[in-house]
Amino acid sequence: MIFIPVYLIMVPILAAIIIYLFKPAKMKYVGFAGQLIITILAILYYNHFSGDFEATTFVFGGWNERIGISLSNDPISMSFIFLTLFTWWMIMIYLFEKGKMNHTFIFFFLFLEGVFFGLLQTNDLFNMFVFLELTTLLVTVLIAFKKAGDSFRAALYYILLNTAGVLVFLIGVILIYNVFGTININVITELMPLYSDEIIIKFAYVLMMSAIAVKSALFPVFTWLPKAHGVAQSAISALLSGLIVKGGLYLFIRINEMYSGANYNHETFFFAVGALTAIVGVMFALSQKDMKQVLAYHTISQIGIMMMGLSSSESQVFYGGLLHIFNHALFKSLLFLGAGIIIKVYRTKKLTEIRGVMRTMPWVSVFMIIGMLSITGAPLFNGFISKSIIKYGIQDSGIKYWILFFVNVGTATSFIKMSQIFFGPKSLSYPMSKNTQNFALMAFGFMCVLLGNLYIPINQGFFGIDLSYIHIFEFAKFFDYFLTLSLGFIFYKFVISKDYRPVPDIRNFKMSFETANILFLGLLVAMSVYFVWM
Amino acid sequence: MDPILSFIVILIGFYGLATSKNIIKSVFMVTIIESGVILLFLNLGNFNGGSIPIYNEALIDIVDPLPQALMITTIVIGSTVTAMALMLSIKIFHYYGSIEWVEILSKEGHK
Repeated sequence: MIFIPVYLIMVPILAAIIIYLFKPAKMKYVGFAGQLIITILAILYYNHFSGDFEATTFVFGGWNERIGISLSNDPISMSFIFLTLFTWWMIMIYLFEKGKMNHTFIFFFLFLEGVFFGLLQTNDLFNMFVFLELTTLLVTVLIAFKKAGDSFRAALYYILLNTAGVLVFLIGVILIYNVFGTININVITELMPLYSDEIIIKFAYVLMMSAIAVKSALFPVFTWLPKAHGVAQSAISALLSGLIVKGGLYLFIRINEMYSGANYNHETFFFAVGALTAIVGVMFALSQKDMKQVLAYHTISQIGIMMMGLSSSESQVFYGGLLHIFNHALFKSLLFLGAGIIIKVYRTKKLTEIRGVMRTMPWVSVFMIIGMLSITGAPLFNGFISKSIIKYGIQDSGIKYWILFFVNVGTATSFIKMSQIFFGPKSLSYPMSKNTQNFALMAFGFMCVLLGNLYIPINQGFFGIDLSYIHIFEFAKFFDYFLTLSLGFIFYKFVISKDYRPVPDIRNFKMSFETANILFLGLLVAMSVYFVWM
Repeated sequence: MDPILSFIVILIGFYGLATSKNIIKSVFMVTIIESGVILLFLNLGNFNGGSIPIYNEALIDIVDPLPQALMITTIVIGSTVTAMALMLSIKIFHYYGSIEWVEILSKEGHK
């Protein structure tokens, strides 16, 4: 039973290698078989350990904990594991009939799953670095897989910026090893109160956090994300935006847990970074006309909202941020997959040229609308729950509340802009989306509605947190939502759709690679000043 | 050797990354940062007069073996990243006919 974390990492990688080496004719089924095995193992593992997660720590080869490699799980990592399994299942089903699944693609796709499980379960810092870097490499291959000029460009931008970030993470690990003499997270967590005032440990925190900022596309260093997620294949964009970019936020949780014995006052700094990320992401998203770019910039702004939640020291708000990670994974994957079908059929990404989707593809439109309602925070859908928790926690503080309100109005505006694609006459007459694609969309949409309605028992069962103070059926909630929507509509009608002066400027704004690196160094310096000097 | 020297190597790498306008230079700047990181870790685990970390009867005066084990992994990963980035650079040169960041980032919608 305790070996199951190893199988979770090994089985997808083995399946990938079998598919690549032997090239079986029924290769898809090898992938599905591996997926089925790890799903069953993960459920068994969760049933066995759900009462006592202390016992999950597993050291390879019976070594001393301080020097051995170890894996361990907690409720947060288990929930991430189930989210990963669900996303991979659905994207494999989505790709089932698409004809683009060749051996090489499946190799990298399944390999990435194993590596991501490793990232979620690892209990030592060096392996964390290895898995981070492996994720970067595999994601680079998947971005470049479309074999077009702009995807190579985005992949190179991605790999260089992220490798520089991950190497900075490694410097932090080295400094920690130098002080503690171990890289085991459990041991470091216990010893942290003794050393937390040393400058070298503070500096290690700064280095690791700036690396995480690059990986999870926080404010000044988010430029790789729209490039990468905008040009990859839609299924890959769904995977990256829904899940892989959350790997950075997961590490943010883990590293802050490790530093829980230290008192660095990180709440203010990361709330500010999250708020800036959210606002800048929304501003860029409003100006875009490319469907996938809009979705990619909305990933940035939603990551900002998650950061606003996760940075809080109050467990309620933190939990709102955590829940928003899962909700965002569901609705953003849904939106990207739906956008992929629409782009394939209309052969354009321009929002202004796509019209009449509702009549052409009714099912796809229904699921896309579910996704849009979720991301704008409509009651009865899952985005509403997590946004309400965050709003509940920060309602005493005026400016924080207004930042969230502004971001919500911006989100509503840009999805009103995107919803224009549904109107108009039927333009194409042949059948478009395949049944498996519709099934994947339906599963994501179903989960959005399920988590938006049965949130009390689900969260009680999984995390043991009582959410009964969030009520859906209140007039004020619906009124709030319609106020947001109508403000968004006015803003869309009179500013965005007219394309006034600053909007095209923001759209055409490009950041060169050198500037991105200067901003990364700037973030490092700002964090050093905040955490080490003050 | 002082750890400060390795930090200087790392900073040189970052300076290059923030100023070089050429893809190939950027790739090698990442390699330089990585070399600096490897030097830093090996330095911190080393001391003057230490012997190689192979088990012997005396087991005294050996250097810390862990940094060496970890840095081998880092070197392997680093070479993979370099190979990958150079491959992408070749592809970009084929598509855009240039290896300057400014030129390849300004061409839009080019297939």
